[in-house]
Amino acid sequence: METSLTPRSLGQPGFISDVRAFYAILRREWTIFRRYPSWIIALLIWPLIFPMMYILTGRALSGIDGSGLAVFTKLTGATDFIGYIVIGTTVWMWQNIVLWDVGFALRNEQMRGTLESNWLSPTWRFSYLLGHTGPQLISMTMFILITAIEFGLIFSVKLNGSAWLALLVMLVSIPAIYGLGFAFASIVITAKEAHTFVFLVRGLVMIFCGITFPVSLLPGWMQSIANWLPQTYMIRAMRSAAFANASFTELLPDLKALLLFGAFWLTLGYLLFTWMERRARQTGAIGQY
Amino acid sequence: MSDFAIEATQLVKKFPARPGTGDKSAKTESAPAPKKKLWPFGKKEPKAMFTAVNGVDLQIQRGEIFGLLGPNGAGKSTTIRMLCTLLEPTSGTARVNGFDIVKQANDVRRSLGTLLAGERSIYWKLSGRENLEYFAALYHIPQAIAKKRVEELIERMELKDRANELVEKYSTGMRQRVAIAKALLARPPILLLDEPTLGLDPQAARRLRELIAELKQEGHTILLTTHYMEEADQLSDRIGIIDTGKVIALDTPAGLKRHIEQKEVIKLEVTGWHTEIGDKIKSIAGIENLMSRQQGEADMWEVNMQAHNSRTAIPRIVEYISGNGTRLVNMNIVKPSLEDVFINLTGKALRD
Repeated sequence: METSLTPRSLGQPGFISDVRAFYAILRREWTIFRRYPSWIIALLIWPLIFPMMYILTGRALSGIDGSGLAVFTKLTGATDFIGYIVIGTTVWMWQNIVLWDVGFALRNEQMRGTLESNWLSPTWRFSYLLGHTGPQLISMTMFILITAIEFGLIFSVKLNGSAWLALLVMLVSIPAIYGLGFAFASIVITAKEAHTFVFLVRGLVMIFCGITFPVSLLPGWMQSIANWLPQTYMIRAMRSAAFANASFTELLPDLKALLLFGAFWLTLGYLLFTWMERRARQTGAIGQY
Repeated sequence: MSDFAIEATQLVKKFPARPGTGDKSAKTESAPAPKKKLWPFGKKEPKAMFTAVNGVDLQIQRGEIFGLLGPNGAGKSTTIRMLCTLLEPTSGTARVNGFDIVKQANDVRRSLGTLLAGERSIYWKLSGRENLEYFAALYHIPQAIAKKRVEELIERMELKDRANELVEKYSTGMRQRVAIAKALLARPPILLLDEPTLGLDPQAARRLRELIAELKQEGHTILLTTHYMEEADQLSDRIGIIDTGKVIALDTPAGLKRHIEQKEVIKLEVTGWHTEIGDKIKSIAGIENLMSRQQGEADMWEVNMQAHNSRTAIPRIVEYISGNGTRLVNMNIVKPSLEDVFINLTGKALRD
């Protein structure tokens, strides 16, 4: 048989190569994201539409002269009920979007057929999931900024606290929110369909975490469940930082709880991912649509 | 380094059988008879297993083009998926470029360029160039080398004029070329090409076959699966025929054909064909492996069969066909092709 010299692979494994691969995944996601221009419309409209539903209900219930708001202020300590609602709905939308975007990231690749070709490379596989969070974080930051601008301009919502502390709460919340997204993404690859689970999680957040009302209104058993959901702490800490002029020390218990939740969900997300990867090698799930 | 580019020993892959899928080509082992349950919430009954690959042995030399042929569901894609580490074997071992496919999976991935799922394996919302740059990073090619390599492959795949356009605007053939360029990016010693010419027009398929021959000249080992017999015949140094999860024949194309060269192949074109005629012809002594398929929408049938002695069989064949609205339009007696070898071994056509 005629043979030539066997070609030598050009790949050079190592930490730098893995970092470059991760950057390539981030850049790919960002490039593809920009090529679907409809996100601009969604980014402008959604921050207004969802909270408006609750704001208008609040207006109707408080009466034309707003006299009913005194009861609300007494219950919540918040003078600006619009700001109060916007914080809750924004956290809800953040978690909801992460569940759809990050949670379905690998599933979408699986359906397109590109997951297998990524899986065939020697890159650390968790990078594919991590890589989806970069552009998602950028778009979410834009979403939150647009929310702040729109409600500041249209509804004259004013910050009565520290923007830096509110930002700190958001940063500390990232591991919990995205950890849940990672765990979810791994389950979706195996289960193929997980819309019911998204509806369940966002329903839980909507009812138990007090996105438009104080958790103290809930019956005791529901408050106990709320204590196990990181979004409860996020919403409370964000409201305290942005509108109640809370100090760092006052926020510290919630920040610690969020970090603990973050560590838990990131670990669980990673463990579920490695379980899914192993299971996919046994069942061939990566290539199944 | 191992003497073989790919070496598989008694590779087995079983999946839980899915009810209602038919799993027609490979074995389905029924679960042991369930014991009578006393407690309804006890252990689950063992699942029935479907054996997709059933003890495959392969030894592929370095620099060789090895064709793996088989009908749909024969186990060739499962074999390829195990070799490229997407699937873990249920039992048996395999080494690719000397690396174990389970224990040294990442070294295996570095040794391989793989074309699976063709045009669907690349991003349609990225340009051809962006796709290649992206995959170059995934294969850990240093940036400066990657830049040159991407340009080299764009040139070689004749994509230069449209390299910056989004892949969604490309033809199937162009997308397939990007997918092949992706497989070649890291200049891997071994290439696994799963149905590389599927869906391509004849000209694009011919150009791709030329490229595969060139890659062999450059020293790549190529494991090729295909439905196209002529392609396997033309390109492969050796061919393995896989059916119901087993390699049932393995030889050079000429060697395989020698097995049935004492036979002749009778090819008929007939109108008004019906199965009763087929049954009558099958009863003629020395006639084997009769296959009939309708050509296009008209009532024209192509009927092929293998004969030990066509001279004695033809008068009776003609007698059976004539009449009852059936008409013989054309008849040829030809030497056996690789397709006939396949039919002889498996009793079915490759596209069954």
